[in-house]
Amino acid sequence: MSPRHFGYQDKILLLQHGCTDLLALAQRRGAELHKLLSGTGIFEQDLHKPLGRLHFSDWLTLLKNCQQQLNSPELAYLLGNALLNSRYISLCQSLHYAQNLSQALSQLYYFRHQLFPCFYVRLYRQQHCIAIEFKPALGLANQHGFMFSLLCSLILGLIKQQLGSVSGISLQLQHAESAQQQQFLGVAVSFNQAADCLCIPLSFWRQPFVDANAVQFSAKTRSCRQLNRVLCKQRALPEILCRLQRRALPQLLSQDQVAAMLGLSSSSLKRQLSQHRTHFAALLDGVRRDAARQLLQQGHYSNRQLASRLGYSDEHNFRRAFKRWTGVIPSSFKGLFNPH
Amino acid sequence: MWRQHRYKILLSLILLVCGLLLAINTGAAKHSSEFDALDILGEGTTLLVACGWLGLIISSRPAGRVTEWLYYGSLLLVFSYFLDLLDEFIRYQEQVRLMSWLESLPAPVGMLVLTYGLVGWHREQRAINRQLRGRELFLRDHQLIDPLTQLYGADYLHAVLQREIELHLSQHRTLCLLVLDIDDFAGFNRRHGIAAGDTYLSRLSELLSSQLRHSDVICRYAGDRFVAVLPNTTPGQAQIMAQHLRQQITQLVSAEEAPQLTVAGMTVQQRSAQTALQQADIAIKQAKAGNVLKWQPEL
Repeated sequence: MSPRHFGYQDKILLLQHGCTDLLALAQRRGAELHKLLSGTGIFEQDLHKPLGRLHFSDWLTLLKNCQQQLNSPELAYLLGNALLNSRYISLCQSLHYAQNLSQALSQLYYFRHQLFPCFYVRLYRQQHCIAIEFKPALGLANQHGFMFSLLCSLILGLIKQQLGSVSGISLQLQHAESAQQQQFLGVAVSFNQAADCLCIPLSFWRQPFVDANAVQFSAKTRSCRQLNRVLCKQRALPEILCRLQRRALPQLLSQDQVAAMLGLSSSSLKRQLSQHRTHFAALLDGVRRDAARQLLQQGHYSNRQLASRLGYSDEHNFRRAFKRWTGVIPSSFKGLFNPH
Repeated sequence: MWRQHRYKILLSLILLVCGLLLAINTGAAKHSSEFDALDILGEGTTLLVACGWLGLIISSRPAGRVTEWLYYGSLLLVFSYFLDLLDEFIRYQEQVRLMSWLESLPAPVGMLVLTYGLVGWHREQRAINRQLRGRELFLRDHQLIDPLTQLYGADYLHAVLQREIELHLSQHRTLCLLVLDIDDFAGFNRRHGIAAGDTYLSRLSELLSSQLRHSDVICRYAGDRFVAVLPNTTPGQAQIMAQHLRQQITQLVSAEEAPQLTVAGMTVQQRSAQTALQQADIAIKQAKAGNVLKWQPEL
């Protein structure tokens, strides 16, 4: 049974989980509150209610308003730090008390619906590090860059505070070069990569945290669980769909099959996906693209094997699709990873 | 801003309504076949643009002498163009000259008044430029200003530094940079909250820009790092300025529990702004490792 999914119109975020901090930051930089809130369903008097909630689409509108009013590239990084040290977010407090990075990140991932419902990850191991690949779990409009910077600044801030340094960690970004990331995050950044990815060396994962405290950790985890009653554990629809398809490969799911698995009608699935500004075929294509890239990075597969694993009827179709995704044919892509 | 000018808005509306009533009283409406579309388009556009000027003046300028001149000049223009447009729709009797005077006289007077206002604006701008010294060099682009500290950001620094490097190379003078970095700013933010950090940054930038000479410019290079460009300065002078800044900062710091600053200076010998700033990053790292104010000679 797949977990529940939330609709685009559900109020899934707490105002205290970032919204109030963002507004305070923006106001100190000269933005006006009523302009920041315009177009969102947030009212000024709700801002300080402890359990006030907002839609994810409101959050995106809020980010858009901020960027329109301010030219302040540091906003995402400051907000990341503010969240990490916020007294109101038990999830972030619990991260500091974790034993090590591995426990902290799995805690963050388990409770991510409370703070970052917009990303899901795939882990894979490279030679000296574990790569965390971040994928958008829902339609992010054009705020993907901001949200990713926010998440990275939170994780790297945690590592810096607890382990003292972030040297050795590298960041791969999909989008084209911009000067700021390197300055603000303090790690090596490479641009125009195939996916948004954070590579953390193996030595970081088991190193004990400075503030590690098992009692505090379980206390904070308990309050996270209590919060689950308000913000139930649920995932975004595009994420669930991608996971289902990924598991089903090489078989390809049809829209009707997926709708039946989720207990939706086919037309309402279609409508909900279009609220995320995506559609079924695009998601399916994305899943196959990522699967192809990972298979190619992991081992030596022939085109025929890849085609059959990804559910293509023959290797010509696969080659054509691959050319469309990456601009190169599979054999020259393989050369990038397996020079021998 | 427009709230300061309520009476002005009221006055212009009354004036335009008076003009309209006068025109209707003295003339008779033309038949629609007599309308000249091209004339109406041309005169309508002129009127709209003049109204746009009036709106911009009202919404962007605080009350004051220069604003009054600019405003009354544009108002006369608007009035004149308005009557000009009206006579496309209304025919006046030949013997009454009042309307044609009202139509043609205000425009040149308005132009003169507006010009006088623009001269005043020019003087005012020079005064503002003097006020901005230490925060701005040859270039002005309000989109590059950091909204928190009101200093220019890294993009501006790149542009200014590149130009200064080229000028100094051609004139064989020395250009210096001062790099100021806040010690453990992340820790300060963590202990006291981001709000306290923001307050500290804006106070610090006030202090820094007031302590520099008129020819210098200070920019916010990164979250907790400032770079001052010192044109035509010898390393010795730059070192004295660094020490002076350090003393000033100690006063700010001792008042409250604020973080210390590391100040490093360097002479620019690189040919591009990018390599110079990379060198500046290295210089500040070395100064931090030594944890004392040191002069970093060119490597």
